[in-house]
Amino acid sequence: MAIFVLFGAVMVLVLLNVPIAIALGVVALVAILHAGGIAALANVPLVMYTGSTSFPLIAIPLFILAGAIMNASGISRRLIALSSAVFGFVRGALAQVTIVTSLFFAEISGSAVADAAALGTILIPAMKSKGYSKEFSAAVLSSASTLAVIIPPSIPMILYAAMADTSVVKLFVAGIVPGVLGGLLMMVIAYRFARLYNLPVEEKFDRRRVWAALKEASWSLVLPALILGGIFGGVVTATEGAALAVLAAVVIGTVIYRELNLKALYTAMIDGVVQTAVVMLLVAASALLGIHLTEIQAPQKLAAAAAALSNSRWLVLMLLNLLFLLLGLFLHSAAAIILVIPVVMPLVQAVGIDPVHFGIIVTINLGIGQQTPPVASVLTVACSIARADIWEVTKVNLWFIGVLLLVLLLSTYVPLVPLSLVRLFYGG
Amino acid sequence: MTARAIWRRRLEQVLQWITGALLVLLAVEVLAGIAFRAARRPLSWYDEVASVLLAWITYYGSALAALKRSHIAFPGLVNGMPRAGRFVALAIRETAVLGFFLVLAWQGTSILRVLAGETLVTVDIPVALTQSVIPIGAALFVVAELLNLPDRVAWAEGGKVVVSAQQDAAKELSH
Repeated sequence: MAIFVLFGAVMVLVLLNVPIAIALGVVALVAILHAGGIAALANVPLVMYTGSTSFPLIAIPLFILAGAIMNASGISRRLIALSSAVFGFVRGALAQVTIVTSLFFAEISGSAVADAAALGTILIPAMKSKGYSKEFSAAVLSSASTLAVIIPPSIPMILYAAMADTSVVKLFVAGIVPGVLGGLLMMVIAYRFARLYNLPVEEKFDRRRVWAALKEASWSLVLPALILGGIFGGVVTATEGAALAVLAAVVIGTVIYRELNLKALYTAMIDGVVQTAVVMLLVAASALLGIHLTEIQAPQKLAAAAAALSNSRWLVLMLLNLLFLLLGLFLHSAAAIILVIPVVMPLVQAVGIDPVHFGIIVTINLGIGQQTPPVASVLTVACSIARADIWEVTKVNLWFIGVLLLVLLLSTYVPLVPLSLVRLFYGG
Repeated sequence: MTARAIWRRRLEQVLQWITGALLVLLAVEVLAGIAFRAARRPLSWYDEVASVLLAWITYYGSALAALKRSHIAFPGLVNGMPRAGRFVALAIRETAVLGFFLVLAWQGTSILRVLAGETLVTVDIPVALTQSVIPIGAALFVVAELLNLPDRVAWAEGGKVVVSAQQDAAKELSH
């Protein structure tokens, strides 16, 4: 009962436009006052401080910084040139280029919004100039950008791993197959639209052009791949890998490409700091509420009650999928992870769901949430660049959301899809 | 430019410099930790200091996010309310935000006296210094919120707070 009162109070404050982190903090504050009086408030600054010092979460600002530096180094242009050289001969080539470039870019960036902003400003105008509708241009860019959170590195995965106390490295590995599968299926859908709209072919396939583009883009592909290899191989932690990615980005931008745009970099850095702070304040405030929830054993009681209704993990997974899809309509993914994961993890463990498997399911769900209005961050960026109406774009985007839903279903009910590489590399 | 706009701009610049410097320092510190470990001379303090830097980025960055109105919220319902409803919602919002951070600043200052004399486990840095970010960050958050208050009152009066779609979506840059 207490958990429903607490979350009800949080929801009321959120609906009244109180920032979610502060709604969590205020409700926790009242609960602490109620339980322990004014003396208990002395713990509040201590918990708010320790809640913001989680070492694994240092990877978040560092991956954002690495992505910002690479993007300020002209990397988007080179990746687009490479994709164009390889897929330019296909009908509707620019849509294919958008998806393939997003797959490449996902290996560097952990943020779908960053992908959409970086690639959209180049690819959406290019598509529109070739006669692609603005709705289709925005839809393909938006959905392809979501692959960034499924393919490693992924900021929601880092956050989930910290909240669920599970291995971020295994999560990264588990994201590879669903991410690539999603990209390939999106290419099929894009080809279908290309036939339907009679979209143009860009250029003939030319091996010399492919080789030249590959040489140009190789640094920006190989160095991040090596760093991810180091993380997967246990040579460095995810946080250290993120710091190495920053170093690699600086070397690529200043020594190899010599194109680092300092003004763009500073702006992106400050944006990154702000977004890190927003997420970390949520984490700290949830730690404050978490202490109270732990004291009253609310998640355990909820898990016991839910497990008493059904012990079927498939049924539980279906219900949790529905919950996350619903939350994705209204909540940003960091908020959804921070609010829900600590509460549902005891239930997930009680019915025997692998936390890495569940992490992938959560990530894909929230990736879909980035595409579904009214709160659809990535879609909003794409629509803003394309100057297209969000609901008109959504009509086209339903096909791509369908692909993500298919990947979600496969990942949920065929655990080998996300976990095959994890078992191959780490056993179990 | 009004005095409020000038102060808002100054505070924004100072917070941007501080948080930008903290981010660069964090990256350099973690890289130094890797380099020293590779040289078989691991730095015992590196993860503890990195965690402190993350906490500082969190609270100075949160004040900056407050100034830029970037904290994740759900304005959909209150935007559709009539004038009176907007004022009630605004009053609740400001009471919650200012109340929470004033309590944090008050308790955060009190706890610094208790922590006086203590240092971090791995390095001789006073805990009172590292934890000073809580009362200072909370106070800065309150200042940022107050600097934005006239705009929020104008919105409640019936004006429109213009937030571009890209700005709104940038709230989820970290996703």
